[in-house]
Order: sequence, then C-alpha cells, then structure tokens
Amino acid sequence: MRFPKTLLIPVLTLLITACQTGYHLTNQAYSRVQVDSLAAPADSGMARFLQPYSQQLGQTMNEVLVESAVPLNKARPESALNNLLADAMLQYGQQKLGQPVDCSHLNYGGIRTNLPQGPIRIGNIYEVMPFDNQLTLLTLKGSMLREFFEYFIGNQAEENALIVGGVRVTIKNNLLTSIEFTNGKTFDPNQNYTVLVSDYIANRGGGTAFLKDAVRRQDFPITIRDVFIDYFRQLGKSGKPINPTTDGRITIQ
Amino acid sequence: MDASQSSRRQFLKVFGTAAVVGSLAPEVWAKPKTTSLTILHTNDVHSRLEPFPMDGSRNAGRGGIVRRATLIEQIRNEQPNVLLFDAGDIFQGTPYFNVYKGEPEILAMNRMGYDGGTIGNHDFDGGMDNMVTQFGKAAFPFLIANYDFKNTAMNGRTEPYRVFKKDGLRIGVFGLGIQPEGLITKELYRETRYLDPIEVGNEVAATLRNDKKCDYVICLSHLGYQYNDKTVSDRVFASRSRNIDLIIGGHTHTFLDAPVNVLNQDGLPVLINQVGFAGIYLGRIDLMFERGKAKMATEGKAVDVKS
Repeated sequence: MRFPKTLLIPVLTLLITACQTGYHLTNQAYSRVQVDSLAAPADSGMARFLQPYSQQLGQTMNEVLVESAVPLNKARPESALNNLLADAMLQYGQQKLGQPVDCSHLNYGGIRTNLPQGPIRIGNIYEVMPFDNQLTLLTLKGSMLREFFEYFIGNQAEENALIVGGVRVTIKNNLLTSIEFTNGKTFDPNQNYTVLVSDYIANRGGGTAFLKDAVRRQDFPITIRDVFIDYFRQLGKSGKPINPTTDGRITIQ
Repeated sequence: MDASQSSRRQFLKVFGTAAVVGSLAPEVWAKPKTTSLTILHTNDVHSRLEPFPMDGSRNAGRGGIVRRATLIEQIRNEQPNVLLFDAGDIFQGTPYFNVYKGEPEILAMNRMGYDGGTIGNHDFDGGMDNMVTQFGKAAFPFLIANYDFKNTAMNGRTEPYRVFKKDGLRIGVFGLGIQPEGLITKELYRETRYLDPIEVGNEVAATLRNDKKCDYVICLSHLGYQYNDKTVSDRVFASRSRNIDLIIGGHTHTFLDAPVNVLNQDGLPVLINQVGFAGIYLGRIDLMFERGKAKMATEGKAVDVKS
C-alpha cells in the first residue's frame, strides 16, 4: 500500500510528542523484607559461589600463629598481654614505618578479649581486635606526652589503665613521677617525642581533646589487627611456645 | 464519540498498515497506559556475605547473600520491571573483606543483578587501588556525582548518573557520597575532592528531570539519614532539593519502619528510605505510573505510602 509522504510526517511528529509526555506516579507501596530462613530458602547457586571463599576463610582464620604456654589476659595496671600488644605496635613502627618511633600506646578498651593458652589462631586475634583501627604516629612535646599518659591513669579516661611500649613509668597519685625510654632517650618536657597510637585515639575517640595540638600527625593505612597478626606470626617462627611475663614497666608507688 | 477520538482512530488505522512504525504498539494511544516499577534496595551491607552466626544474639540467622538472592529472584519472577540498588558501604565488617578485599561482595552483587550502587566511606577501606580492582569486577555502575576522582586512580571509573529505561519509563539515578575528611584516613581517599552534595545533587537532578526527560528521579545517598547538628543528611538534602522523588539512603544504619516524606523546595514530598545495615532487610518500593502528565500539579506526588 502506498502512503502519502505529506501525511506521514505530521503523524510521526504527533507520535513523538505523545511519547515525550512521559509517565506520572499514581500510586506507591512499600514493604521491608526481613532476610532470614522464614522469608526465603537459600539459593543453591549462590551457596556454591560462596563455598570456596568461606572454606578458604575458615582455613585462614584457623592458621596457628604461635603457641602460648599460658593464658594471656588483659589486666590492670599491667599484664603480659597488655605489654605484648604495645610491643607489637612499637616493633612494627620501628621496623616497617621508616620513622623514628620512641614509644607506643594502646587503649585498654580496644582489647576486646583475652588470648587462650595453647594455639593462638588468626581468628583469636580478630576477637581481640575486631575493630579496623589503624596506626597513627603522633609527635608530641614531652609535656603533652606526659599529659597523654596521665589521661589514661587519671579519672578522666573511660578505662582507667595505661598500656605502653618503649617506656617504663612510675605512677604516684595518678600522676607520672618518671618516664624512662627504653631507647635511651631522656624525658624532657620541652623535647618532642613520637608515640604510635590507634587512629581512634588520635581522632580523640577516647576523649583526648588536647591531642589536636600535637606537633605532627601521620596516619598509616595498616590495621592494628594486622600488626598483631604479623607480630604473633614472627613469635611463632621459633617453633617454641611463648611464655611472656610482665616486666614492671608500670610501677605504682 | 468526539472529533478528536474519531481522528485518533483514523490515525491508528493508518498506523496499523504503516511499515515504518509497525513495531510500535498502537494501543498506547487508545487508552491511558499504566506501568509499574519495583525498586529493591540495600545499604551498609558491610561484607555480611553469611548470615549473622546463630549465637543467640539479636540478629542471629539474619542477612546473607544466599537468601537475599532467592528473595530477589522471587520478586523478579512476580514483577515485570525491577531495579536493584545499593547505597554504599558494601565493604568492611567481616573477615571476608580483610582476606578477599571485596571480591566476593562485588561478584555476589553481579549474580543478584544489581543495577547500580554508590560509594560509602568504608568502600575506601582497602585504598583507592583496591577500589579500582574490585569495582572493576562489577557488572553494574558506581554512581557518584559529588566525588571528583580526577587526580586519583578512580578517575573515569564512576558515573554521576545513569538513566534506566523500563517499559517506556525513564528512571534517572544518581549517587551522593559523604564528606571524607575526618571520617576516612587521608591515605585512603587521597586526592578525592568532595563537592557540595546539595549543589551538585540539585544540578544533576535538574539534568535528569529536564534534559533527560526522566519520569522518576532517585538519589542513592551515603550522606546519612539525620544528624543533631547541621551536617548535610538525607533529610536536610531532601528539604533543600528539587526534582528528586526518592532518596535511598545509608551510612547511619537507620532502620526506618517505612519511608519518610520530606517536603522539598517546591513543597513536593521526597521519599527517604534506609534499611538498617548488614543486609538484614531488603527494601522494596512498588510504584505505579500512568502515561501522560498528571492532571493536577501535585497529582502522582502526594501519594501515601502503604506498607
């Protein structure tokens, strides 16, 4: 059938115009579907997809890093676990960050559980440190470093406990009467020192507002958990169980 | 029968035999055509690939991709037009992320047929290079209008918006991210520039509504639902917006019992929804549309949400 061109053009124009008017909303409904065994059975294809990841993850979490001859518990004012974890941060900082690190600090509340006697697995470290807090290196004037440490032994901090590496301190009436650096430096309130902390603390998550006046702040994209895993794995390389003890780095007079 | 109807029938008769337009269904002219759209959404799934462990805690047994996949499949079988979105923080929260850096999260989303997502602050947790690697495995676009990635590895790997076409409907979707400064470690977001979400959001929404002729405009937002201070939230953005119909939110892990309406600059309601976190819930919004312009200015806007 033949079709006059003159008629076709207005027809197409009309059609296009009609399409351009689009749609408008006339009704809407909402529901929130809880994803559980009542709502839906497992999708077998998806389960097959996840299985190798989940299996390998289980193996990863089960990797034994080191054996411990004793249970390792967090405790105040000092415990072998407290010291070990602070030392792990210090050693990582000194060996891997390429920065001079004088001391380390860990917030007591950041240690979420204890480590068992016997094999210590990666999964255990995840339980000790489930958070993804990362390392931050703060350069602080000596007077602020002292204020920082005292904050965690004084009554201001939520968890009244000080965990440190690289220093030995003496506490009297919630104040520090001496700070000795294990690297041989002498404490001077007017000198600058570097302290490796959790970014949570550096962000004043623990309430340490005065840290905003730190001389310098450097953030490192490595989680404290990975630092711990690395450290315990190194300890396990000797093949002997560890038997850590306290070393009296916190003395209370 | 009036004259216009008569002439329309005349045209239809003509069309029926015109080869050039033979593929177009003539009934679209004869009566008002209606269509539907089902929007499914998640936010802050945080690497929760498996359900929460059965340890007696509140969320034990909830979430997980194997059941979410079934639910989505069931809904797709029932509904002709489905779009599936995520509002960010796909990554971080279970050892899966620490070990696999986000790969199973993205591949699972591909399998579920996600149509788009936006970027949450925790999606930076593996660093920008990891984002390039993992997002590169996605079969869906990452939509973000207010992050300028120009001087980063992510340059050119996101889109500000995308227009989805379903049964003649044009659905414009764009994404907004949260201020990274003070929230994300600088080493992770590097030279990402954060642009004002209200300004950029309104510009993009206007483009989608006016230039791209979208019938419905959706914002995937990781700004957060609401704050006590003046921080830009979904509620603040909605109240200062134009041209947006729906905000699918995230970040604050807010469990809304039902979507909330906030009036925009034009006095029109913007629907805001957020479904908690960890994939405990799948959000579902069913929309009905009719062809043509609304008879009144507000028609099709001030519709109650039925749950």
